[in-house]
Amino acid sequence: MSCHVVREHAGAGPAVLTLRSRPLRVALVGQPNVGKSVVFGRLTGRYVTVSNYPGTTVAITRGRALVGAQVCDIIDTPGVNALEGDVSEDERITRDVLTSDGADLIVQVADARNLRRALMLTAQIAAFGKPMVLALNMVDEAWARGISIDAADLSAVLGIPVVETVAIDGQGFSDLREALARAAVAGAPVGRTSIDRAAWANDLTGRVRRQSTLSLSRIPDLIARATRQPLTGLPILAVVLYALYLFVGVFGAQTLVRLLEDGVFGRGINPASIWLVDRFMPVPFVHDFLVGQYGLITMGLTYAIAIVLPVVTTFFLMFGFLEDSGYIPRLAIFCDRIFRVMGLNGKAVLPMVLGLGCDTMATMTTRILGTPKERLIAILLLALGIPCSAQLATILGILGGVSLAALMTLFVVVLGQMFLVGWLAARVLKGDRSEFIMELPPIRWPRLGNLLTKTRLRVWWYLGEAVPLFLAGTVLLFVLDRLGALIWISRVAEPVVTGLLGLPAATAQILVMGFLRRDYGAAGLFQLAHSGQLTGVQAVVALTVMTLFVPCVANFLIMVRERGLRVGLAIVGVITPVALLTGAGLNYVLHALDVHF
Amino acid sequence: MSCTLLTFTSKAVPLSSLAVGQHGLVSSVSGAPTGRSDRLVSLGITPGAVVTMLQRFPGVVFFCDQTELAVERAVADAILVRPMEDVR
Ligand SMILES: Nc1nc2c(ncn2[C@@H]2O[C@H](COP(=O)(O)OP(=O)(O)O)[C@@H](O)[C@H]2O)c(=O)[nH]1
Repeated sequence: MSCHVVREHAGAGPAVLTLRSRPLRVALVGQPNVGKSVVFGRLTGRYVTVSNYPGTTVAITRGRALVGAQVCDIIDTPGVNALEGDVSEDERITRDVLTSDGADLIVQVADARNLRRALMLTAQIAAFGKPMVLALNMVDEAWARGISIDAADLSAVLGIPVVETVAIDGQGFSDLREALARAAVAGAPVGRTSIDRAAWANDLTGRVRRQSTLSLSRIPDLIARATRQPLTGLPILAVVLYALYLFVGVFGAQTLVRLLEDGVFGRGINPASIWLVDRFMPVPFVHDFLVGQYGLITMGLTYAIAIVLPVVTTFFLMFGFLEDSGYIPRLAIFCDRIFRVMGLNGKAVLPMVLGLGCDTMATMTTRILGTPKERLIAILLLALGIPCSAQLATILGILGGVSLAALMTLFVVVLGQMFLVGWLAARVLKGDRSEFIMELPPIRWPRLGNLLTKTRLRVWWYLGEAVPLFLAGTVLLFVLDRLGALIWISRVAEPVVTGLLGLPAATAQILVMGFLRRDYGAAGLFQLAHSGQLTGVQAVVALTVMTLFVPCVANFLIMVRERGLRVGLAIVGVITPVALLTGAGLNYVLHALDVHF
Repeated sequence: MSCTLLTFTSKAVPLSSLAVGQHGLVSSVSGAPTGRSDRLVSLGITPGAVVTMLQRFPGVVFFCDQTELAVERAVADAILVRPMEDVR
């Protein structure tokens, strides 16, 4: 098949860059993730935040740039895959910019590796009849893969300037600025069906693109293949988990925690604040409130900063590394089948893994899942079974000292419960599961700057969200203790806790703390175990209940914000009996079998 | 100059039946629940696209235009391709 394309030669067209009274409006248009934001930053000297989460870039960014003597208004539009037919919210915004006479000139930013997809969009942009320039960005990545594009030939066929760029280091930008003056209406098949456009894009790509075979031996490609195939992928997963354990569980939860808890707080901040309080405010009430057993500083701040912060920071560093390297989407391939039984698909692996850091944050990222039913199930399972980093640290810290069998018992029981509840929820809840279709990003070495920025923002968010709640929880505990309510609560819960679960009465109080802040309760359990008040079986039962139990207040509030109060209460209503009954069952079975860990 | 050195047999089969390493020319996306074909088209899976099977288990992974895509079995069953023999 051949294409008859009308060509308009740039030289014959009207000069776009004549001096005019108002700035020339230049719209940047392109598929998601082609580097548009970086191009925008280069042209305007402004930096826009690069966000990876979908649904966050709805607003349009504008900036000024001087091209020759012409002042230009550069407009960054949301990434689009299509401009015709059923379009998404983002795509509608971009289309409006192009139709409503909001732009005089269009720069299509394309990923040079994927010319065919770009050309399908070029044909749709051409339909707006505006002068345009095509910027083939990321040519560095294309070359590294053995792909080269005959830009001169492509330019001749399309009748528009075609410029090769590397946005991250500025290559090709003087050419791009200069090319704006030669912008022309593209000669692409306009107004035909998407099938016609695809055929045209195919033919043209075949004509101007060269692919050498050397590309397949690149090391990242080899790693990419190894991570997704079962034979190599599962051992790699085991290594990744072990590295996660060493970095977060040992380095974060033990080395750093000890340094901060015993050193900074134990020898520095806590004795100093006790001294200050007793010296300047020698009132017993103030002493207890600030630096007593449930003191704001000695308990609240110590837990928040010394015990939880190192774990959260090391986890977010590791998570950011795995995220930026492109590993996590490949993990989704392994999880897809298992998740499908629970009414989810492989995509849910992202919130589930993030939940190991903070369930509250993970609950917010369930928005990336396709259907309301999937989001609800994921939120339920996060609250039920995924231990957050502080809990994980407690579990590893306590049971690590008991036995491997104890640790395995807990994980098997918790995973089994998640599986069962997920399976039931998938059957009981109305609605659909979405199909698993996922683009796998290339495996690449993460850029340190980006990793640190990301981790800093996440830790910052965590501190802003966690520390106030820690402190509020501490105040509440202090008040309850003063009113004698702690003893009362413990007494009420005692039959359940001591009878059904076979735990010491003091655990009741810890479960209450656990609701104020899940990890906070976990830390309380830590103390109990360290002072030798728990047997091996009791530790396993208590930690299992704690892991399954009602999420912390923060998680509950986020659930309510995401899904409404009714759903939030329903989730709590499901989880509480499941946690208690599982604990009771486990206690019964372990005793019946006369197990000692 | 053309560098297409591939010939293909004419019968369309599901993508899921390609062997690892085999190429196929997409002919259509069938039995689509709403949204499936739109999502695939926007990822470059259109009639005429060349795909290469990379992996069949535990999930189907294939290659199209420098992009690796992972899909579940049902989706791979719904993409019809004409298998190509590499005659280079
Ligand atoms: N190797 C390479 N990476 C690039 C280039 N341009 C952008 N990137 C990277 O591609 C990613 C996506 O860029 P971004 O501007 O957020 O894409 P947008 O979604 O189109 O705005 C970022 O990590 C950039 O650093 C380039 O020319 N070469």
